[in-house]
Amino acid sequence: MIITDLLGARVFGPDFLGFVSDVRFWLDTKSIGQPAQLYGIVVSPHARSSSLGYERSDVRSPSPIAALVRWRHRGSFLVRWEDIQRLDVGRINLRPGFTKVSSQLP
Amino acid sequence: MTSQRADQQRQWLDAQLHLLDRQVLDVAGVPIAVVDDLELADIPVGEDLPVGTPPPVITALLSGPVLGTRIFGGRPPESRLHRTPWTAVSDVGVVISLAIRGETTDLTWTERWVRDHVISRIPGGRNDPEREQKDSSASKRGSS
Repeated sequence: MIITDLLGARVFGPDFLGFVSDVRFWLDTKSIGQPAQLYGIVVSPHARSSSLGYERSDVRSPSPIAALVRWRHRGSFLVRWEDIQRLDVGRINLRPGFTKVSSQLP
Repeated sequence: MTSQRADQQRQWLDAQLHLLDRQVLDVAGVPIAVVDDLELADIPVGEDLPVGTPPPVITALLSGPVLGTRIFGGRPPESRLHRTPWTAVSDVGVVISLAIRGETTDLTWTERWVRDHVISRIPGGRNDPEREQKDSSASKRGSS
C-alpha cells in the first residue's frame, strides 16, 4: 500500500466522520535507521486537502491564511492505529468506541 | 515521567507535512530526488484488522512521474516509481538525508546515462574539474 491510498479516504465510525487529511508516524531517534511506525490518522470533518500544519502547531502567521486553513479544518482529530478496524480503498472504518485524540503535534 | 522521556526520544512525522514533496539529499549532500509517495509495509486491505495488529511501517520513499496522476487522479504504475529504502534514511528535517551515495540508486540513472552517452562524447567532456584543481594544487605544493 502507498500513502496516497490513505490520504483523502473517507472515515466512518459507523457514521461519516470526515476525510484522512494526514497520516502520523513516529520513529525512535536514539539511532539511525529506525523504522517509522504508523501512529494514527488525522481526520478532518470538512476538507480532504492538506491543512499545511496550521491546526497541528502554534503557527499563527500569515494570519489570513492561518484563519482560513483553521476554519477549513475545524474539528480535526487524530485516531490511533489501534482504533482502525478495516481499511478499504478510499474508505476506513473505525472500531466501536474509538477515541478521538487532539491532532496537535506533540 | 517515563512517557515524557519516551516522547522526547520520538520524532513525530506527519506524512503530508514532513515527508511528501521534501527534497532528498544523498550522503554527499547532492539533491537526487523528491519524495512523491511512501510505501507502507503490507496492510490487510478489505478485511477486518484483528485487535493487536502491529502498526505498519514505512518501507521506502517513492519518486517518479506523479504530476499527471496528481492532476487527473489515479496512480502511476509501480514500475515507474523508484524506491529508496527507508533504512537508507539518516535524518529527516527540512530535507531528507540519506546515508548512501546517489549513484548507487536508480534515481539518478538518467543523469548517469546522459553523462556516459552524451557529455563524455563532447571534446573535453571527460575532464573532471575537481580532480584537475586538486592535481594542480598538489603540483604547486610539490614544486614549492
